[in-house]
Amino acid sequence: MGLIAFLVAVPLVAAVLLMLFRTDQQRSVITVVAAAATGLGAVAFAVQHLFGGFSMFELPQQTSYAITWIMTAVDIILCAVILWSAVRYRNRLAFVLGLVQTLGVIWFANMTLPEGAEHMLEMPLYVDQLSVIMVLIVGLVGSAICVYALGYMKDFQHHEPEGAPDRRHFFSALMFLFLAAMFVIVLSDNLEWMFTGWEITTVCSFLMIGYTKTDEAIKNSFRQINLNMIGGIAFLAALVIIHLTGLPMSLAALPVVANSMVAPLLIFPIMLLSVAGLTKAAQMPFQSWLLGAMVAPTPTSALLHSSTMVKAGVFLLVKLAPLYLAYPVASFMVVSIGGITFVLCSFMAITQSNAKRVLAYSTIANLGLISACAGVGTSEAVWAAIFLIIFHTVSKSVLFLCVGTVEHRIGSRNIEDMDGLFSRLPHLTRFMMLGIMGMFVAPFGMLVSKWATLVSFAETGNVLFLILLAFGSAATFFFWAKWLGKLAGVAQKADNVEGGVHKAEWFAIGFISTLLIACCVLLPVISQTVVGPYLEGAFGEMPQLIDVDNMLIMAAIVVFIAIVLLTPWGRDSKKRRVSVYLGGTCTDPDGRQYHGSMGRTMTSSKRNWYMQDIFTESRLTTVGLIVCTSLILIAYAACFVFNVQFLAGGAFFVDRKVLLVGPNLWGILIGVVVFAVAAPVLGCLLDGLDRKVSAHMQGRVGPRLLQPYYDVRKLLVKEGASVNAIDEAYVTCALIFCLLAGGLFISGSNLLMCVFLVTLGTLFVILAAYSARSPYADTGADRECLQVMSYEPMLMIMTVGFFTATQSFDVACLTHLDAPIIVSLLPIFAGLLFILTIKLRKSPFDLSYSHHAHQEIVKGITTEMSGRTLAKIEVMHWCESILFLMWVGMFFVWDNPASLVLGLAVALAAWFFEVMIDNNFARMKWQSCLKLAWLVALVTGVVNLIYVLITPFI
Amino acid sequence: MGYSSKSPWLIHYDGSSCNGCDIEVLDSMMPLYDVERFGIINTGNPKHADIFLITGAINHQNVNVVKHIYEQMLEPKVVVACGICACTGGVFRDAYNVIGGADKAIPVDVYAPGCAVRPETIIDAVLKAVEILDEKAKKLKAAEKNA
Repeated sequence: MGLIAFLVAVPLVAAVLLMLFRTDQQRSVITVVAAAATGLGAVAFAVQHLFGGFSMFELPQQTSYAITWIMTAVDIILCAVILWSAVRYRNRLAFVLGLVQTLGVIWFANMTLPEGAEHMLEMPLYVDQLSVIMVLIVGLVGSAICVYALGYMKDFQHHEPEGAPDRRHFFSALMFLFLAAMFVIVLSDNLEWMFTGWEITTVCSFLMIGYTKTDEAIKNSFRQINLNMIGGIAFLAALVIIHLTGLPMSLAALPVVANSMVAPLLIFPIMLLSVAGLTKAAQMPFQSWLLGAMVAPTPTSALLHSSTMVKAGVFLLVKLAPLYLAYPVASFMVVSIGGITFVLCSFMAITQSNAKRVLAYSTIANLGLISACAGVGTSEAVWAAIFLIIFHTVSKSVLFLCVGTVEHRIGSRNIEDMDGLFSRLPHLTRFMMLGIMGMFVAPFGMLVSKWATLVSFAETGNVLFLILLAFGSAATFFFWAKWLGKLAGVAQKADNVEGGVHKAEWFAIGFISTLLIACCVLLPVISQTVVGPYLEGAFGEMPQLIDVDNMLIMAAIVVFIAIVLLTPWGRDSKKRRVSVYLGGTCTDPDGRQYHGSMGRTMTSSKRNWYMQDIFTESRLTTVGLIVCTSLILIAYAACFVFNVQFLAGGAFFVDRKVLLVGPNLWGILIGVVVFAVAAPVLGCLLDGLDRKVSAHMQGRVGPRLLQPYYDVRKLLVKEGASVNAIDEAYVTCALIFCLLAGGLFISGSNLLMCVFLVTLGTLFVILAAYSARSPYADTGADRECLQVMSYEPMLMIMTVGFFTATQSFDVACLTHLDAPIIVSLLPIFAGLLFILTIKLRKSPFDLSYSHHAHQEIVKGITTEMSGRTLAKIEVMHWCESILFLMWVGMFFVWDNPASLVLGLAVALAAWFFEVMIDNNFARMKWQSCLKLAWLVALVTGVVNLIYVLITPFI
Repeated sequence: MGYSSKSPWLIHYDGSSCNGCDIEVLDSMMPLYDVERFGIINTGNPKHADIFLITGAINHQNVNVVKHIYEQMLEPKVVVACGICACTGGVFRDAYNVIGGADKAIPVDVYAPGCAVRPETIIDAVLKAVEILDEKAKKLKAAEKNA
């Protein structure tokens, strides 16, 4: 109780002090002390309550009454600020909305306050594990960002024109005020108080976005306030309805009401609160405020978009999650808006070259995912939502802070200008790479949460959302991987421009990165001791989505990747350095200049792919606005049209619980060892056979059966030489991940994790190729990214199909089936065969690298790899081929041991089929690859998933 | 016998020539001669290649390119000059722009004469080259052990 007061008071006092004491020195002291106090307070609070479960705090009703008075006064002051700004900048819409809100606040206060103190809630404050997590997020990440702002704003002021007024004290004060408001939001059970916190964050971010007072900043700040006032007014309307219907003004009481006879009374409040949450979480059609907010100084973006403002929106939705189980229309609205926002914003992020806009779109997309999870409302989905909140916060704030610092160092926030940053800003870039990886690849928490999302949606049989998730995730891979590639390029001679980065910035970035790794490593612990108990309290059950053993492996991989990135492990400095291959005489490897055969000096330049003609931003925005606005309107109309039995009648899905039948760690270990021994041998033979069969199809004799083995042995004795020291380390990682994936599969562990690890392996090959900064390897790597984006949806759909057929994601369950899964998954099997061509690198889709196309763009993704590195790539290719063929065979296995022979026969038949395709088709353009693969995934996915998930209930 | 000789990967460069030898090199890849029987692959990438197959003469424009490709190949590596132009400059040797055979730019290990060089000769030359490749690989290994 005292700690809550402390947490709210410290930032408030700091804000006041910052307004009073304005010199740099004083501000540094106040900020550091206040941030440390807030952080420590948050930690102390967590220690006290983390394992305590749900508890409420009693407050004398008189005190409570007084606080409510203060809160109302604050509301009115905030309205006055809005109205004053609206008048000053002549923004009519803001004025009208502000007026509505003012009148609403006064009217509402007029209803509640005269009732006197005895109507106050006896226990207006509460704490549960979710609010503790939020307190930690706000208290640690939020205060770290405040510290970061010290250094950043110094540089910022430096870049301002001469004589610009120094308003940094105001900026810092706003940040601390923001933190105080966040604490109010996450700890108030009294909805009125929460509303006040809600409005403070709205107005604070309004002022922070408009901080520079340029025309653009003013315009965007008004867009923010107008959209958020819609949410604010919706929130207020919900409060009014709750009050008028005589329900308690308590957040904790809402689920109780929903399960009682008076449940229909909450239909409209829930709808209104959902809209409030969606606006704050910047979901379509309200997403434009978050994009506009990017004009503000970077600490604003970091604070608003990673740890506070938008997290308040999703926090409310997650708190409402148990209610969505009771109110299907509200659930439908939130899930579909979240899902559509996720997929559209992921697509739009591909087209952006401005780093902050990429971050903005990815933020909106991830918030969409969180909203959708909250909207489903099952304990599994909420598990995913909470972890998404945690990991999104830490990864995104690292990224925002890094981008802010990089911008000041290199004078640009364009991703194209970040080429070769690995050498120019070595430490910062590694942190940034860590942050990016944290956003989208296994084993980092974000992906584990996405995994849980997929599981929870598969459990509730939400076909639409599963499809959206599959495609959105594929796009996510593409836009992150290409950015990562830009960063990973190692220049051979580069000036280190890292000196001069402010200490405060290093501290904040380092601290949050440590948090990121700690959260990933401790994920199983957090799940078991914090999130699990929370869900047990809120839903009465502790979800078991992911086997703890699998999470432990993930945690180990995180540590491994952190070592690869942050330490000199695997760097072979003894290797001879060679310059990149440029098709002529290379004159300047860093500038990619070469002396061409026509006697001229040429420069090779390369940009990322933005695919603006496929994923056009304006078109997708329009689509999103129309669809999401209609969805909201339809949902509201439904509340008037349908009867209350339907509207408050509970969700209508059949919850299937995922079975965890995978092996334990020892089983997996044995699997990995067996795979690591057997797969290279079999893969090598298969590859030799491939070449032999291909030769026969072409009327040749072909090489010896063991030719691939000889090739690899030859490569191993080649001289060690490389364009940089790191590419072999990346390739080694890729090989390890591939072996791990195969081991997981044959030991009967999780299929999804197997798919994710294969993707992770591919990502490291891509990184190795990008690190060379060679135009040929870059093109190959770009194409590899495209291939991953093309086949990823089908793999996701395959795993979901696997789940629908077996009730589990564990491969081991195949041996308990009465019939092979092909019986119900024929379309998905066909889709898998289609993308198998891409995965096995066969024509017509061998875009990035091929064994057969002799002279084509040198050697694609492997152009700059040689000797031992190339040998590892070959071995990895063998293992992958074996793994993919096992995926094919898996469709024909059931509890009859003889079925293994059938599976083997089918796998071999599929292999022969692929070799035949390879020899009979010319390579296609990448556009065809993407479009065809997505079309096949969409058609087979929709048809098959609807067949297995929906038709049984019709 | 070492592994280098079982998996000779080529890079082919055509210098100043009439392109006759160039065509013959490609011809030896075709089903009739099928050099892949010996594990020979045309890689098109110096970093993957073990054997530098050069046709045509060296002139002032390509001399640096040839040297550069040779530099970018990793040890052990051998050079095969295919056709009389690559061996000595051939009929072009007195032309104002021609420097001479491939050995004017880089050390050549095997000379395969002919105008144009026959596919049989190319295959013979490559199989001769792989023996040298093996020797070089052995030497490299010995050098590594001593180092």
